[in-house]
Amino acid sequence: MRFGFRAFPDPGGGSIRPRPIVDVVVEGLDLAPQACLLDSGASAVRFGLHVAEICGVDLRGAPTGRVGVGGDVIEARMAEVDLRVTDGTDSHAWHAPVWFCDPWTPAFGLLGLTGFFDQFEVTLASYDERIELDPISV
Amino acid sequence: MTVNVKIAGQPFLLAHREIVQLCRAVDPEPIASHFVVIGGRRFPPKQVICEITGLDRADFTSHQARRALMRVGFSAGRRGGARQSSPPASKASPLVEQLRPLIGQWVATRGDDVLHAAASPQQVVSWLSRHGQEADSMFRVPEDDRAAGGLAPL
Repeated sequence: MRFGFRAFPDPGGGSIRPRPIVDVVVEGLDLAPQACLLDSGASAVRFGLHVAEICGVDLRGAPTGRVGVGGDVIEARMAEVDLRVTDGTDSHAWHAPVWFCDPWTPAFGLLGLTGFFDQFEVTLASYDERIELDPISV
Repeated sequence: MTVNVKIAGQPFLLAHREIVQLCRAVDPEPIASHFVVIGGRRFPPKQVICEITGLDRADFTSHQARRALMRVGFSAGRRGGARQSSPPASKASPLVEQLRPLIGQWVATRGDDVLHAAASPQQVVSWLSRHGQEADSMFRVPEDDRAAGGLAPL
């Protein structure tokens, strides 16, 4: 699957540096795929708690932890959820542990090592702002 | 800017500033084809004319509504087509320019269109459900480089 980097406006004018972002359908909520940053510095997949609320992920009794996000340590709860990406031609679905964090300051979800980078062979070609995801066959 | 227009045989005095203020409190409906840009958001022209005149939608056409709003100074366009009136030229992608007035808000996008923007992700999803719409992507428009950045664990 191939994707382009994505640009966003800079409040001062122009746009900020385009980012490697793909849209992930969480728990089959097709009407609102979540924009997610490919973040090899993150140890796992992380979303704001609002994503669990929107998608109806039950976090009662879920394992809890404290994770570092943006220089802060915040509360997070983990659930195994279904994720799916598509480039309009091909798609891939997988099941992964996801940490739902509160509070959540990033603009996007974060696709980290466990649950994303261990599911795909990932090419990040920043020079031409291209992402390639090849699902790893087990 | 204030303009006298006739819609469905009735005269109306349309004021640019009042329309902008009124539309701040209105959720845009899905865009089928034509749209006008008001306060950085896209609205179906007929929805706006209904809101400001109280006319029934069956009483006038989308073309009449669009023409009236363009006379008051709003830019208009068509999904998937070129814009018909004149926002500032930019080298940035059409979506980047649409997102600029929405910095800090949650948005649902499809292609180069912003389907809806709101203060919370729950409001965006609620709007998508109510209107039977599917987005390509949902996110908060980053306020700065940090909000768009990767966040390595401590």
